[in-house]
Amino acid sequence: MSKKEKPVSLRGKFFALTVCAIYAILFFFDRQMALLAIQKSANVLFQVLPILAVVILFTAFLNYILKPKQIARHLGEDSGIKGWFVALFAGVISHGPMYAWYPLIEDLRSHGLKDRLVVVFFYARAIKLPLLPLMIDYFGLNFTIILSCYILLGALFQGWIIELLEQKGIRP
Amino acid sequence: MLMGVIGLVGLFQVLVSPKMLSSLFRGNVAGDTLIGTMAGAAASGNPVVSYLLGGELLKQGISLYAVSAFILSWVTLGFVHLPLEAEVLGFRLTLYRNILAFIFAMLIAALIPITLQALT
Repeated sequence: MSKKEKPVSLRGKFFALTVCAIYAILFFFDRQMALLAIQKSANVLFQVLPILAVVILFTAFLNYILKPKQIARHLGEDSGIKGWFVALFAGVISHGPMYAWYPLIEDLRSHGLKDRLVVVFFYARAIKLPLLPLMIDYFGLNFTIILSCYILLGALFQGWIIELLEQKGIRP
Repeated sequence: MLMGVIGLVGLFQVLVSPKMLSSLFRGNVAGDTLIGTMAGAAASGNPVVSYLLGGELLKQGISLYAVSAFILSWVTLGFVHLPLEAEVLGFRLTLYRNILAFIFAMLIAALIPITLQALT
């Protein structure tokens, strides 16, 4: 096992136990609310499962077709401007909740994905392509275009700030 | 860990209701923008809910600054999945990413109405 890796059985054990304890307390005080929360969690789980399956398959596929060196070339230290645009584009087209993408990001980071591109990816995810028509309907076309442009610029700026921190030796 | 986060999302969806979130706004532009950012970060669920809620808040007279901050922080910040994010990205990168996302949610929220006004 590498130095960075943690035993799978221990990962998040404390957190999961804490959540269970909160449910137990809520169940004691308000049984109906606790059951409703369990139902909502089950709904979320069923919504996330297909996305998670796609992410896991995609991770396996990337691992199969791309060698670590290639990933590092596209998204690593020497990826240059292409890396920024790959991260931005991937963020915009990615679907589902943020936490569904953590396994892929974790895997890519172990292969050399730079932190600045992680930040770009996560901020660019604020643009939800399938929901743009709904946003236009609620807030107008101008608002949607301006917000989307600022999100893209904001993502790049944040990545740039992380890069500056890295250059100054403040490793995130 | 993921199951823990999903369990927490369910809890938040029940305990933090849309009515509760909209009652936080006070009508002060700067204060509401900060509240919008915090409320969006605390809430969880499909972004569609943030649009619906944001639309309702606008109808209630809440500023576009606050609503923009709210819908932006809904998708870029998340108190609920912070433990999982820290586990995957490391504590420092999670901290930096969330501080930056928080600042940029406020900044973009401030810029949107100004840009809209300048264009019309």
